[in-house]
Amino acid sequence: MLFSKECKKILHSFTYILYCALVILMVVSQYFGESDGKVYPPVKGGDDYGYKIEEDHDIIMSSATVALTTEYFANRYVCYPFGFYKAVHLNNKEQAEVEKYISELSGLDSKELIDIKNNSNIYNYTDGTHYYSDYNVMDVPVSETLTYERFTEIMGDVDDILGGGSDYAVESLVVRFSRIPMTYEDAVEDYNELIEDDKITGAYARLFSDYAGIVLAIVPVFVAAALTAADRRRKMNELIYSRKTSSFRLVFTRYASLVTMMFIPVFLLIVIAFVQLLSMYSGEKMDMSVMFTLPTFWLLPNIMTASAIGMLVTELFSGGAAILVQFVWWFMGLMMAGTAGLDGMIGKYTFICRHNSLGMRRAFFMNWDNFVFNRIFYIIISLAAAVVAVLIYDMKRGGRFDGIRLFGKNSIFRRKA
Amino acid sequence: MVSGCLARIVYSDVKHNFLIHYIVAVCVLLVSPVFFSLSMLDSVLAAQPLEVFVPLIGIVLMTPVFLPEQNDSIYDVVRSRKVDHNIVCILRLLFSVIIAAVMIGAYVLFMKHCDSDVTIKHFIGSFANAFILGAVGFTFAGLSRNVIIGYMASVIYYMLNFTLGTKLKYFYLFSMIHGGFEEKKCLLIVASVLIIFTLTSRKIIDSR
Repeated sequence: MLFSKECKKILHSFTYILYCALVILMVVSQYFGESDGKVYPPVKGGDDYGYKIEEDHDIIMSSATVALTTEYFANRYVCYPFGFYKAVHLNNKEQAEVEKYISELSGLDSKELIDIKNNSNIYNYTDGTHYYSDYNVMDVPVSETLTYERFTEIMGDVDDILGGGSDYAVESLVVRFSRIPMTYEDAVEDYNELIEDDKITGAYARLFSDYAGIVLAIVPVFVAAALTAADRRRKMNELIYSRKTSSFRLVFTRYASLVTMMFIPVFLLIVIAFVQLLSMYSGEKMDMSVMFTLPTFWLLPNIMTASAIGMLVTELFSGGAAILVQFVWWFMGLMMAGTAGLDGMIGKYTFICRHNSLGMRRAFFMNWDNFVFNRIFYIIISLAAAVVAVLIYDMKRGGRFDGIRLFGKNSIFRRKA
Repeated sequence: MVSGCLARIVYSDVKHNFLIHYIVAVCVLLVSPVFFSLSMLDSVLAAQPLEVFVPLIGIVLMTPVFLPEQNDSIYDVVRSRKVDHNIVCILRLLFSVIIAAVMIGAYVLFMKHCDSDVTIKHFIGSFANAFILGAVGFTFAGLSRNVIIGYMASVIYYMLNFTLGTKLKYFYLFSMIHGGFEEKKCLLIVASVLIIFTLTSRKIIDSR
C-alpha cells in the first residue's frame, strides 16, 4: 500500500519525467546508434583489424622501462590524473628516486644512463607555450634478475611519485604497454568469441550497460533528493512523523519504490534492445538470459547507490548538497574510468564501470573478479547508506536532530543576533 | 534612498542566503589544479579547464536565485513587501553573474601568470559556458519553483556535452577545445533570452 503510494508519487514528479527522458535519450543516441548494424566476420586483406591486449610480461617490462627512461631524461611526465592532461615536472630529489628505480629496472648505473641519454637523438617540439627537448630512446635493457612482481611494485611507486594517473599505474600497465595490433586471424577469433562465447547477447549487454551506466551514476540522485525534500517542502513532515509506521519501513519503502521506478525505464529499454537483436540475428544461437541478467547486475548498484546517497545527504543537509556530492563523485568517476581505458578496465572500487566495445571480451573477463566484487560492494554500500538515512530520519522524527541547515533560520552560516 | 535600500537587500542576501554558494564556487576553482595543469599551456590545452571545469560555477551561482523563497509561506510574505520580488531576484542574478565574471577573470589572469597562452577569448568562452549553464538552471528552477529541477536540468545539459558532443552544434560547450569560438555568441544570446523569458513568465504567472 505504502509502496504503491510512493511509486505513484514518483511517477507524477517532474524529476522522474526528466530522468526517463534522459535515460531514453542516452540509450537511443548512444547504444542504438551503435548497435543498429549486424557484426559480420572480418574480411581477409583488410588494413586495420583494431588492437588486442596481450598480457606478455616481457613486452610490458621492456616498453614501460623505455617509456619511463624517455620521460625521465626530459623530466616531463605526461599524466591524466582525472582524464585531463597534466605535465608533471619533478624536483631533484624525486628525479633521483626515479633514477634509482630505472637503475633497478635496467641494471644500469648513472653513468651508463647518461651514455644512453647522450647517444639518443634529440628532437625539439612545442607543447603548450613551452619548448621541449625530448630524447628518442630506442632501447633500454631490462635487468635479468628483475621479476614481474618487483617490476609492478616499482611502477606503483613511480606512479605515486608522479601523483597518480600516469601510464605506470599498476592497473594501467597491461593496457598501456601490451597493446598490439590484431592480425586477420586474431580478428576472426574475436568475431568467433562474439558468436560462440558471448552468444551475441553478452557483447551487446556489455555495450548497453556501458552507456546506460554513465547516466545512471548521477541522475537518480535528483529524483531521490526531490522526493526526500518534498515532505519538508509540502510541510508533511509532522504529519508523517506522528504515524505509527516505523522509520525503517517508511525510509526503506521509499528507497525500494525509488529503485523500482527508476529501473523500469531501464528494463523496458533492455527489452527493446533484445527485440532488436532478435530481429538482427534471427537464426543465430543466442543466450536469452544474459541480456537481462548482466545489465541488471551492472546497473542496479548504480541506481541503488545514487538513490541512497541522494536520500542520506538530503536528510542530513539538503537536496543541493546531495546533488553536489553525487556530481563530484560522478565527475571524478567518469574521468578516471576514461583514463583507465574504456575496454573492461574495471577496478575493485570503480563506480562507473566501462566497456565501450562489442569485442575485447578477453579484456573484460580479465577483470571479471574485480567487476563482481565491485558491484556487490556498491550494493552493500548503498544499503548501508539507506540504513544511516533511517537512523537520521528516526532522530529527526524524535526531535533529537533537525538536520544540518545550510540556509534560513538556524543555518550554520547564519550569524545569531 | 532607493539605491541604499537595494544595497541593503544585496548585502542581506549575500550574508544570509548566498555566502555558501560563493564558498562552493571558490572551492570549485581552488580544486581545479588537482585535475588540470594550469601552467605553460597553449590556447587549445588552456581551453580544457576553462570550458570543462570553471563554468560549473555558473550552476552553483545562478541556479539558486529563487531558492530563498522556495517555501510557499516565505514567498507569500516576500510578495506582500513593498519592493517587487522580481527586482530582488534580478539583483541577486546580476550579483551572481558579476561574481562569476570576476572569478573567471581572476582564474584566466592566474593562468596567464603561469605562462599559459590565454586571451580575452578564453575569458569570454568560459564565461559564456558558465552563463548558459547557470541560465538553464535558473530557468528550470524559476519555472518549476523547485531548485532541484534547476540543478538537474543544467547537469543534464552539461552531461549531454560529453555524450552527444559536437552533435549539439551551436549549443556545444567545449568548442574552444576543438578550435571553435562561433558557438559562444549563440550561447550568450540563448542564455540572455532564457533569463528574460523566465523573469517575464514568473511576473505573468504571479500577476494572475
